[in-house]
Amino acid sequence: MSIAMGASRRDLVTVARPPGARPVLVGTGRSLRAINGQLREVALNGSVIVREVSHLNGLAAGLTGGEVVIESDSGDYLAVLNDGATVRLIGDAGCYLADNMTRGTVIVEGDAGYAAAPYCYGGTVVIKGDAGDFTAVMNKGATVLVQGNAGDDVATYMLDGDVVIVGNAGKNLGNYLIRGSIYVGGEWQSLGHNTRLEGMTEADLAKLRGYFDKYSIKADPAAFHKIGRLSEKPFYKAKAPAQPDSLAK
Amino acid sequence: MPPVNGTFCVTVMKDRCINAGMPGKCATCVQVCPYDVYAMDATGHVRVANYNACVGCRICAEFCPQDAIRINPAESEFLVRSPWTFPQVEEIHQKAQTGQYALRGFGAMGFAPSFDNITVVPSQIASPAPLDKYREECDMEVVIGEDSCERPIQMQYPLFFAAMSFGAVSREARMALAIGAAQTGIMSNTGEGGLLKDETWLIKGYENEERTLKRWEPGGHLVVQWSTGRWGVSAGYVRAGDGVEIKIGQGAKPGMGGHLLGAKVTEEIAAVRGIPVGSDALSPCRYYDARNLEDMKHMVDVLRDVTGYRVPILFKLGPSRPYEDVKACVEAGADAVSIDGLVGGTGASPAVVTQGVGIPTLALIPPAVRALREMGVHHKVKLFILGGMRNGLDAYKAMAMGADGVGFGAAAEIAMGCRACMACHTGRCPYGITSQDPELRARLDPEEAGQRLANFIKATAEEIKILTMLSGHGDIRDLSEEDLRAMDVNTAAITGLKLVGYERRLPWWEDGRNQLHVG
Repeated sequence: MSIAMGASRRDLVTVARPPGARPVLVGTGRSLRAINGQLREVALNGSVIVREVSHLNGLAAGLTGGEVVIESDSGDYLAVLNDGATVRLIGDAGCYLADNMTRGTVIVEGDAGYAAAPYCYGGTVVIKGDAGDFTAVMNKGATVLVQGNAGDDVATYMLDGDVVIVGNAGKNLGNYLIRGSIYVGGEWQSLGHNTRLEGMTEADLAKLRGYFDKYSIKADPAAFHKIGRLSEKPFYKAKAPAQPDSLAK
Repeated sequence: MPPVNGTFCVTVMKDRCINAGMPGKCATCVQVCPYDVYAMDATGHVRVANYNACVGCRICAEFCPQDAIRINPAESEFLVRSPWTFPQVEEIHQKAQTGQYALRGFGAMGFAPSFDNITVVPSQIASPAPLDKYREECDMEVVIGEDSCERPIQMQYPLFFAAMSFGAVSREARMALAIGAAQTGIMSNTGEGGLLKDETWLIKGYENEERTLKRWEPGGHLVVQWSTGRWGVSAGYVRAGDGVEIKIGQGAKPGMGGHLLGAKVTEEIAAVRGIPVGSDALSPCRYYDARNLEDMKHMVDVLRDVTGYRVPILFKLGPSRPYEDVKACVEAGADAVSIDGLVGGTGASPAVVTQGVGIPTLALIPPAVRALREMGVHHKVKLFILGGMRNGLDAYKAMAMGADGVGFGAAAEIAMGCRACMACHTGRCPYGITSQDPELRARLDPEEAGQRLANFIKATAEEIKILTMLSGHGDIRDLSEEDLRAMDVNTAAITGLKLVGYERRLPWWEDGRNQLHVG
């Protein structure tokens, strides 16, 4: 394993491991800059294990590939701006998990805090435990799976993507939904504005089955309800813009 | 009883009027006017019989089948009918008919404490002699992030183009801003509508993507905005900028998020922002991923980390509590803070917010400067002022009060050709600046508009140079409040500047009691 630019050999804290095993970074007493600098170099070339990093906010920020396995709880902003990496957290996540992700996969074996997967454009976020309020807020295309229960205001102002909650959801679910779908296996306290219940299609069932198989989630797609939007334009009522011929559908 | 006699001029255009061509036909105006302004004689001719009786209700104009009547106030409506001016009456009618409030762009209009009530003090015998603008140099460079990042922004002039997103303005306007900045070595700012590929090389002065043909010197700086809607944002977007601006608010709608109305959301813009064509893109009023100052500090850390600690982090504030807000930005780790005043705002917004919410630009500066001085970072963390800035005189005054530079939004649009009709939000800008209609956009030539922007910036910089040197300075960093005088008591009270004639600051500034509001 090479050492990241700007990091001295003394900075690299590793644990004993057999030849060929994945490198291990230990974050105790180390800064975000030091750990993320190494992650960017190491993770791109394969997989790395990280431990003792719950004090760091913004761990694994902006990675473009590779795999990071974190064997502790994390701070806030884990995998923010992720653009292609696979990040697996064996513990609980803080707030703002996978903030603004565009590509990649983030899997949390425990619970996630407030506003998990906000502003995501793409990729997949899987939370095996419970998720907090405002999960998947302003989702613009990511797939967000919550195996446990989710809080209030989930998928607020979602513009695209799928949000799947295997357990129960709180109040104001899907408030001002513009596009995309919400699937709930349990119950919800209330739906937000601009939402409606829709029937599950064969395509929906197949999609959920695919998600559950891929991420080893035990749930029956047939037991789920689907929530979609009422109107694509729930705010101001102006006319659609003129389109050039080349753009017209 | 009618209001003041002679308040309104009644004009009937004879070439349109049916009765003028065919006496006896059409006397609609006579019938609808309840004040006998019009009369029809025995021959069937309609004439204006009593100008003074007109109360300005305009019902005759409304009912005239030929649109032949004009009713105009003989004196300013503001003087004779305020607060019930014709525009105010029409706005109420509009709401009554549609149930919708008014939207518009282009900032607050009318009276607010202004830089116009401040005068510049030239050097004479009792102060250092003036410098010669024609034969001596004046240093106007501004550096952002000098001590905090590897690649600070070095602006040739203390001026920049304010954030105006792709969507709010056209692709051609964004390109023009990049070309203008490239020719003058200043900053342009993406706003929160994502990044156009073209502007990344245009702003560096290249006319091709391969960056082999350098056309404009010295090259400018592109700041990418990080905001509450996060439109078109990715790790690549953040890394593409010469700086990242965290937007907290803006002058047009402080306390509200950006509004891009559906009328402007074309297929191209929808693709960048990830929303359906024609759907309103309404940014949240606050960050969903930062709930307090601690979170904001972490956000700054994250942005520094993702950009490799290479570029500065800027903050943009709306006009709220400048003293406290600026301190919070510095605590969060800002390299620069921009504050947008009440007068500012190119963006579409509910009219009542644009017109009536926020602190006037002039009044933002003293508390903001005081905050920076108390924290020991004045001129280290840069302070930029926006909101109705028009020329080098405004810029000079803002800098003498303690700012490091000023931003141009509306003035930049005007430099591109805008006539300030305030209908940006409709998407029908006749000059192609704030429109997404291909026919209207074709009216804006990015190179020509970019040249106009560069000319405007160069001329403005020359104005700053003239004023700086005639007040005895060879460096804009040497400007101070001593170079200015307030011309009325209100302005002296707001700014802490010495009052003309009195030649001192007002008492509550001199004895330090103005600090009381802090605690």
